[in-house]
Amino acid sequence: MTALVAIGSAVIAALAAIGRLARFAGTALLRLVQPPWYPAQIAQQMWLIGWLSLPVVGLTALFTGSALAQQIFIGGSRFNAASTVPAVTVIGVVRELGPVLGGLMVAGRVASAMAAELGTMRVTEQIDALVTLRTDPFRWLVAPRILAAVLVMPALVLVSNALGVAGGWLLATQRLGFNSAQYLATTARYLEADDVISSLVKAAVFGFIIAVMGCYHGYHSGGGAAGVGRATTNAVVSSFILILLANLIITVIVFGS
Amino acid sequence: MSSPRAMPRLELAGVKKRFGARQVLDGVDLAVMPGESLVIIGGSGTGKSVTLKCILGLIPIDAGAIRVDGGDVVGLKGAALDAHRARFGMLFQGGALFDSLPVWRNVSFALGGSAADRKAAAIDNLARVGLGAEVADLRPSELSGGMQKRVALARAIAARPPIIFFDEPTAGLDPITAAVINRLIRELVSDLKITALTITHDMASVRHVADRVAMLHGGRIIWQGPLAALDGCDNPYVRQFITGSPDGPIQPLGVKR
Repeated sequence: MTALVAIGSAVIAALAAIGRLARFAGTALLRLVQPPWYPAQIAQQMWLIGWLSLPVVGLTALFTGSALAQQIFIGGSRFNAASTVPAVTVIGVVRELGPVLGGLMVAGRVASAMAAELGTMRVTEQIDALVTLRTDPFRWLVAPRILAAVLVMPALVLVSNALGVAGGWLLATQRLGFNSAQYLATTARYLEADDVISSLVKAAVFGFIIAVMGCYHGYHSGGGAAGVGRATTNAVVSSFILILLANLIITVIVFGS
Repeated sequence: MSSPRAMPRLELAGVKKRFGARQVLDGVDLAVMPGESLVIIGGSGTGKSVTLKCILGLIPIDAGAIRVDGGDVVGLKGAALDAHRARFGMLFQGGALFDSLPVWRNVSFALGGSAADRKAAAIDNLARVGLGAEVADLRPSELSGGMQKRVALARAIAARPPIIFFDEPTAGLDPITAAVINRLIRELVSDLKITALTITHDMASVRHVADRVAMLHGGRIIWQGPLAALDGCDNPYVRQFITGSPDGPIQPLGVKR
């Protein structure tokens, strides 16, 4: 009986948390379509999320694309299929590694920063001050971050995909003996529009997840410095899990049939 | 029937607020007349800040009424709530300045007009609190605690609200800086003819700022009267508070006897 009560309580708490999160995201989305908007805030967030994440996303893609090409070459050589390196690399990078690793890297950098910033604003009463100055925190803080993340993540993932493929090409032509022109021609032949579209859709969804989780945990932060620390950790961990779950769902929907 | 002259600018009647098992406000009755400076004293954790936040609509009350200029403000939403908040300025305990904005944008946050007009208005308000134009472009983090309080004071008065709340205005300041802030508050209240509600446990601040004093204890106003009557008051709670004696009816939170 005690176990049933514990399970029931956990389920109710989880449903309540989902409800709070859905209400938070819904409120933010509503603010996105209602004026006033704050273009300067949106532009600043696009710069912070997009431009400043480029190095970490780009390097991750470059190294991972190279490592992927190396592994495909080793695996393919076992059954005389080493020539599949360009095709499998481009599919692997564009469909999965580019968006997922890009999303995870941005989540680590941006969701934590958002949670820490909003959490600090919460515990130092800056969010209350915004309200008393008749500025809706959802419009000023949350909506610009969500819009900026949804807009810049696809661009970041495009760069990530390009650098991932470039990493594979670089390793294949410099170490594995592939002909550069043939490698690129094969890459282009096997890359389909659906791959790119699904990659961009994933990126936009991941951007939404990152911004919502970062803002949600920061906005509801409490308990001083320890509370802000907890909010930051929760933002990153929940972003990671939701990105991987969303990736699985989108992959099954787009490529499962 | 009371005449318009006798109508309080701000009135609380039977205001109750509970957080979990703790009844923080248990029927607060209070009235502040136009142009009056009322100071609420009371120990830490007695609900002084909660009272201010309830009036501003930042925290919903459980029971009772809050009236501003005779109009009930409990449960206001949307534009009506914005209009209600427009009548208030607030100096937060820690200043609550926006770290990401320069001083002049903090001060002029609630003001309209072009950037040049808002900056000029910010510099005027900074001058009113004894700060020069040279601080206008600095970030709040570049200022001392006392200067931050002055900037927060300038922000609170910038829109010339008829009512200003001062939440622990001298907390964390050295005695000289605290005296300067107290004098500024008194001058602003007199010069701008505002209604002021200050909460503090700093008795020096009380004697500088108050026309009238009220003591909050056990969730209720247990004594109120003019400043001149404070020292002659025979209420044992008030006597213990103003003398700062550890012996008396007030037991600090967390201390057992």
